[in-house]
Amino acid sequence: MAVAKMNKYMEEKKPIDGAEYISLEDAKRLKLPFFEGLAAGFPSPAADYEHERLDLNEKFVHHPEASYFVRVCGESMIGAGIFDGDICLVDRQEEISDGNIVVAFVNGGLTVKTLDTSTRNQNYLRLMPANPEFKPIIIDANDQFIIQGRVTSIHRDTRKY
Amino acid sequence: MYAIIDCDNCYVSCERVFRPDLNGKPVCVLSNNDGCVVARSNEAKALGIKAGLPYYQLKERFPNGEITVFSSNYELYGDITDRVMSLVRKAVPAFYRYSIDEGFCDLSGMENSNLKQWGEDISAFIWKATRMPVSIGIAPTKTLAKMASHYAKHYKGYNHCCLIGTDEQRIKALQGYDIEEVWGVGRRYATRLKTMGVKTAYDFACHANSWVHATLNNVVAMNTWKELNAIDCIPMDNLSKKKSICISRSFPGMVTDIDALRTSIANFAARCAEKLRRQQSVAQIVNIFIDTNHFREDLPQYWNMAEERLLTPTNSTQQIVQTATRCMERIFRQGYHYKRAGVIVMGICPDNGIQTNFIDYDAERHEKMKRLDKVLDKINREYGSETIVLGSQQYSKPGSKGKADVFKDSIKHDFRSPCYTTRWSDIPEAT
Repeated sequence: MAVAKMNKYMEEKKPIDGAEYISLEDAKRLKLPFFEGLAAGFPSPAADYEHERLDLNEKFVHHPEASYFVRVCGESMIGAGIFDGDICLVDRQEEISDGNIVVAFVNGGLTVKTLDTSTRNQNYLRLMPANPEFKPIIIDANDQFIIQGRVTSIHRDTRKY
Repeated sequence: MYAIIDCDNCYVSCERVFRPDLNGKPVCVLSNNDGCVVARSNEAKALGIKAGLPYYQLKERFPNGEITVFSSNYELYGDITDRVMSLVRKAVPAFYRYSIDEGFCDLSGMENSNLKQWGEDISAFIWKATRMPVSIGIAPTKTLAKMASHYAKHYKGYNHCCLIGTDEQRIKALQGYDIEEVWGVGRRYATRLKTMGVKTAYDFACHANSWVHATLNNVVAMNTWKELNAIDCIPMDNLSKKKSICISRSFPGMVTDIDALRTSIANFAARCAEKLRRQQSVAQIVNIFIDTNHFREDLPQYWNMAEERLLTPTNSTQQIVQTATRCMERIFRQGYHYKRAGVIVMGICPDNGIQTNFIDYDAERHEKMKRLDKVLDKINREYGSETIVLGSQQYSKPGSKGKADVFKDSIKHDFRSPCYTTRWSDIPEAT
């Protein structure tokens, strides 16, 4: 009886028109009776080893509220492994220091470069490209310069290669 | 103690998150349809731009682009403010979001820490992480906290956080505060109170309990009086849910056709149902209104409203849309040029304790509609709002192509910013 009811329940929960139909409450409701009810007497040997599946967000997004994505345009950073079309994860909460790859707002546009503060004593900073064909960007007091966060990972769909 | 966290000039600040060049410059955000100014940066306020100023007047006064103008982009504002609220939620024992740009924190157990410093720190942290400036008010009651946040916002010296900790601080705060600005008072009561000599929050708080009871005799006023006197009495869970939801729009042109009007009403009703579901509520009353253009004195004028009380409260898109369109068909008159219409749902209560009416209630149908709505919400959440709609939401003229045709022109947003954080197509680009 219970099993028949359960089967009916499961059937009803089938995807509708390709859209998976499971809300949070449903997931909660489903979990326990499914294992204990259906397999009474034959507990799944894997049950004790249940673990959340790996999640890229967990690995790469350290501060979800402070992170956003930026798409790279151009070749200025290819030496650092950042190519045209790559998606950078940018984190505003990370502390920034010399040598970090950052996204900065410079005179009206965004740019991805390596921050070089070694020239700070001479009252300017440099944003270093990683491509000999590009010149460093010199930032002094007259420039509009706002660091928008540190690049913490780079993402690329390799199917296009 | 309670804290309220309030985003400063919320919509403008959201627009500045990815446009840091606009910090320190006058910025305005327009209402739906680019009708009038709904949000202003401090610089825009300083230029004398008032909230509600029609956009065409703004353009006349500042024809040379001195002011950066944005159409409202609720998708962006929703995501940026979600980030802010999420950070606050992680930092306090209990948190209740009150609206898109503010939330209350229960600071029980934190009384012994330096709350003023705590407030300044969290404000600085939120600014660093999200680029949203927030003001924080801390006080023994929510009404006082709201007052404190007002001080924090308007006086730089507070460094984004104002604490009403001692009775001395409370009295000083009350004395400098116009009764009209007090949370929960409202303009109508304020006018009445002012004729009775109550000008500041302090005047009101100093009256005896019995006076308030005799003159105003209403629960909200009593609660406000208590809260101003540091007696905590407005429960958190009374705050979070709205008592009525209204979706209304002015049409960019004018609507004469019943089918076009029905389509608009159906869309407003569907939005109401979606909002009800989002706050896990149901509504009992569906009210609609239609209105002609009062500025066109050359045209005949007509205004009317209709409402229907449902036997069983609901949040089903289908049911609310059906009821709303039925109401509209009752009051529609041919031959008028309609400029504005809206749907209001009222009698809102939580959806777990629905009082069912046995004659009307059909459990199976109810379950089915619930499932349909869930799928609807899920699809629209994942693929963008209005990916899937009811048939009645997409009437179009013969020969045109469905919803897109009628609605493409129905909402104007000429100056909308990209949805930087919610659409892959809109993420910022960097060289």
